[in-house]
Amino acid sequence: MSSGANDKFTRREFVRGAAALTASAIAGGDSIVAAKNNATAQAAVPSSDRPVPKRPLGKTGVQVSALGVGGYHLGSTQDQQEANELVAKALDAGITFFDNAWDYHQGLSEERLGTALQGKRDQAFVMTKVCTHGRGRDVAMQMLEQSLRRLQTDHLDLWQIHEVIYYNDPDLIFRPGGAAEALLEAKKQGKVRFIGFTGHKDPAIHLRMLAHDFPFDTVQMPLNAFDATFRSFETQVVPEANKRGIAVLGMKSLGGSGEMVRHGAITAQEGLRYAMSLPIATTISGMDSIAVLEQNLEVARGFQPMPAADMAALRDRVRIYAADGRYELFKTTKKYDGDVGREQHHYPTPQKLPA
Amino acid sequence: MSSRSGGAIPLRPFGKHADVSVSILGMGGHHLGDAKDEQTAIALVREAVDGGITFFDNCWEYHRGKSEVLLGKGLKGHRTDVFLMTKVCTHGRDGSLAMQMLEESLNRLQTDHLDLWQAHGVGFENDPELFMRPGGAAEAMLKAREQGKVRFLGFTGHKDPAIHLSMLNTGFPFDAVQMPLNAFDATFHSFQAQVLPELNRRGVAALGMKPMSGHGEPIQNGALTAEEALRYAMSLPVTTTITGMEKPDILRQNLRIAQNHQPMSASEMRALEDRVKDVAADGHFELYKVSLKFDNPEARMAHGFPLDMESEEVKEMVTAVENTGHPYPEIPK
Repeated sequence: MSSGANDKFTRREFVRGAAALTASAIAGGDSIVAAKNNATAQAAVPSSDRPVPKRPLGKTGVQVSALGVGGYHLGSTQDQQEANELVAKALDAGITFFDNAWDYHQGLSEERLGTALQGKRDQAFVMTKVCTHGRGRDVAMQMLEQSLRRLQTDHLDLWQIHEVIYYNDPDLIFRPGGAAEALLEAKKQGKVRFIGFTGHKDPAIHLRMLAHDFPFDTVQMPLNAFDATFRSFETQVVPEANKRGIAVLGMKSLGGSGEMVRHGAITAQEGLRYAMSLPIATTISGMDSIAVLEQNLEVARGFQPMPAADMAALRDRVRIYAADGRYELFKTTKKYDGDVGREQHHYPTPQKLPA
Repeated sequence: MSSRSGGAIPLRPFGKHADVSVSILGMGGHHLGDAKDEQTAIALVREAVDGGITFFDNCWEYHRGKSEVLLGKGLKGHRTDVFLMTKVCTHGRDGSLAMQMLEESLNRLQTDHLDLWQAHGVGFENDPELFMRPGGAAEAMLKAREQGKVRFLGFTGHKDPAIHLSMLNTGFPFDAVQMPLNAFDATFHSFQAQVLPELNRRGVAALGMKPMSGHGEPIQNGALTAEEALRYAMSLPVTTTITGMEKPDILRQNLRIAQNHQPMSASEMRALEDRVKDVAADGHFELYKVSLKFDNPEARMAHGFPLDMESEEVKEMVTAVENTGHPYPEIPK
């Protein structure tokens, strides 16, 4: 997304946010003093000095930053130098969570992150994803070695099964010799600390994965103000994951491609604030330039969750844009499904399908 | 059934209305408008009646009225032999519009009453609330029944089991509910698993559609045969299975399957579900559950959703329904 158009909204949003804070301080009873102190403290510290807050990662005992850097877009930066700068600035601002996947840009995303984190590995919580798409444990273990090499590290903080989006994926993952076994083995070998899975398609598939009672530490899913209305992960999966103490990682806070912002249905700031205000560990956002990082940091530095009433108001406001799913096409079309995954499942490519 | 001379298709009770029964195979109204000409369409309807079909599906907006006109002509002299359904296309708009559509449907179908009148294309999250709102279509449906213009009421939709469930939970006294039911649905976003048991529990007549997944793609693709597909759908605990038949050979094939129908055993059904499970799991044979392509422009406009012609799905939708997104012709007052 281009930041130029969105910069206009920043100040207005900031003002609206400040007004909401004052209103809640007046209404808040015991919290008045705390909120006022907080507001005063915040006013005293320039926004550029406030770090991105940290939150517990489920029941792992580890804390991660409430905003994470998406790995796909890191591979879309102009060059390694820009990636280095972006990662360094993110770390400086208090971002510790770095997302990636074995297949992003054919490995380039992992390589960029590995290089950018040289000498800084211990400041970061590094996640990548394994792209077996139904293939077994041995393929997964080979991918792990490749990911570690590209990321220039001897261990991952989090290793997740990528793109769990088809109704037969849980069966394929949990079959004897399937990818779930690789997660446990890698953990035993000390090559990964925590394990999880991701998917952008269907809450029902996520719930089936969770129903296996496998010791997942994390689960990643699309979470944004639109999701609440359409085939909702927020209402169906987040409560279940929280009940189980599994950390929720949000993604697609602006719908994956920012169309909802470009069409004026929501501002980038509102979208990110909403996602970060959910009861989740972190929100992973794609940032392919320093400008986008800066825009996100304006929201994330010293982040205070939106009051529940503001969240409800935003959900209601965007409901009319959300109810047909046109801004969440990753849930309904094949456009966001990786070709490798479709190939492994013997499905026709999106090009061979009607829209 | 006096004027009928041909074969017989098993009948099943219409939900809790045990005094009414309909054929386990129903003739879909949309495909009737795809028949090569009027004469063919009329002959198809007559052969269907003669072959034992009593359930006839239609819809106010199919081919912009042509499907109802053709069915009306085909059923001339046979009205009392059949159970006639059509659908109303308010898509959230006012009950008064629904009543106008009803008059138009009755005219086109050349009858003074419908056996079943259903709210068409319930597919958006806010449809239940728009349907039930004061002055909405729900009121019109009850009024039409009171006036004796329709006997039973229902709704249809191909999109999302969750939306069907929330329609059911409005408390409106639906007699029938229509939904896609086929061997693929068992795996993907399943109406069979989520909606069908609830209908059976409530005694609401379950009407299956898309036994061949809409346009027969999985049959052309070799995933299963037409006979397997139709037998599977008719073996579910449903009242009838509606399928489109725009050609005499398709009609004859389906009549033969229905006339000889022996329900599949539970284990046969499981085996077929398992066989197609992997190809069903991404939903590419059931795009009506996911793609905007299967919305319809009239419904989108009524909901205030845009017709973004940059979108491939929207372009295909507009082509499929022969509607460029401009409003339908005015309804005569």
